[in-house]
Amino acid sequence: MRLEATDLRSGYGTVPVLHGVSLTVASGEIVALVGRNGAGKTTLVKTVLGVLRATGGALRLEGVDITRLPPSRRVRAGLRATFQERALFGALTVSDNLRLNGFGSESHDRVLDAFGPALSGRGSQRTGTLSGGEQKMLSAAIALATGAPLLVMDEPTEGLQPSNVALLGDHIESAREAGRGVLLIEQHLELAKRLADRFIVLEKGEVVDGGPASDPGIAARVARRLLI
Amino acid sequence: MDALTLELLNGVSLFAILAIVALGLGIVFGLMGVINLAHGEFVMLGAYVAYVVHANGLNHWLSVPLAAVVLFVLGVVIEVGLIRRIHRQPELTILATFGLSVCLRQIAELVFSKDFQSVPNPVPGATEAFGVLFPTYRYLLIAIVAVVVAVTLLAFTRSRFGLVVRAIVADRDLAESAGIRTGVTNLCAFGVGAATAGIAGALVAPLGAVEPQAGLAYLPGAFLVVIVGGYNRLWGVAAGALVVAAVQTGVIHFYDAVWAQIASLALAVLVLQFRRPTPAGAIA
Repeated sequence: MRLEATDLRSGYGTVPVLHGVSLTVASGEIVALVGRNGAGKTTLVKTVLGVLRATGGALRLEGVDITRLPPSRRVRAGLRATFQERALFGALTVSDNLRLNGFGSESHDRVLDAFGPALSGRGSQRTGTLSGGEQKMLSAAIALATGAPLLVMDEPTEGLQPSNVALLGDHIESAREAGRGVLLIEQHLELAKRLADRFIVLEKGEVVDGGPASDPGIAARVARRLLI
Repeated sequence: MDALTLELLNGVSLFAILAIVALGLGIVFGLMGVINLAHGEFVMLGAYVAYVVHANGLNHWLSVPLAAVVLFVLGVVIEVGLIRRIHRQPELTILATFGLSVCLRQIAELVFSKDFQSVPNPVPGATEAFGVLFPTYRYLLIAIVAVVVAVTLLAFTRSRFGLVVRAIVADRDLAESAGIRTGVTNLCAFGVGAATAGIAGALVAPLGAVEPQAGLAYLPGAFLVVIVGGYNRLWGVAAGALVVAAVQTGVIHFYDAVWAQIASLALAVLVLQFRRPTPAGAIA
């Protein structure tokens, strides 16, 4: 499933944030979107999912225009996103969060065991009482387990301990091997370098650089962009 | 002792009426956040369904499910035609539902006239229990309300539909991002809220006059119950109705009905003063 954004624009109220972003994510491809704080990465995630309305441009999923569809229709069309913040219903139990995302009780253990014992047997716990890292793991585990052909993951490693960062990387690689496309918004440059097939650098709401991971100079350029 | 028992039974009866009238508002306002100033008119229309059933010589009890169906359909039409477009803008919702309440009253006047109509008590007479005689219809009303409130609470707390509603209340965008069609759920919830108001109207119709302005009397009480009980958990409606009924019955017993109303309003003001930042009410 191919995601294609063409000249995508959006913002908050009268303040524009994205000034015409164009990108593609194909099946079986991991595209790492990097950029400094305030570059518009989270705004892009929200616009792609439809939580934030695009003010211009177009968004296509497998050639079908989804620019005006509500988020739930996009999800049903095959798109899934994990958010940097507010990714789960904190007042509900872990099991309730799984049910809301379409998992029957028979599959709860499979999702919760994705990251080893950390979440095992925590189904009845109120989600808001999980640690920040555990909530990140749960959110990522849910998105990965849905089997959605296209994943948009906003800073999924933030707050994770190193062993779980590596484990999450394995899961994302498995998703690619299964033919799923992943748009990975990631500050953790080492993980991005390990996983990405392509890089896109966002700066002040515009794509300013990018290229295949095989490009020998891309890693250095990305690192320089993040440091400047 | 008999007088106290009678007061207690009156209190329970008042609790039942308050609970059933406020239940729909608890769903629409409490859970969905839609300030529906036409809720009283939904109750009034439910009462007119009972009147039409009576005028056509049909059994009164038929009016209860019929009012639920009629008001559910009306609620769905209103949600699609009006609420859906404005429900994220409280000030517009207030104006629109106020306008809707005026329209519904005028329509009721055009169709049924301004005249007071009556629906005869389907179960006249009294039943002796706890050493006192108490109207049989009120016993039945209490029982039916208990069933309707219990079923509604279970539907909103134990079912997937209830879980989805709670998720939408907590975070609409996140719910959409989980693939939940919030528009469809809101439609159903508004319809169910209107349907319970219709049931309330059909049940209270034999207790008073049926007339176009009748809804105005129910609206303040319903908001009072939801405010006191808390408006993010539906069981707060039952708890709020219990507190308001206890206060009103107690004050009526020692003073009079005017002071009972004043005490209820003072209670609501007190609750609003000490309300936590989240709209949890005094009890929930």
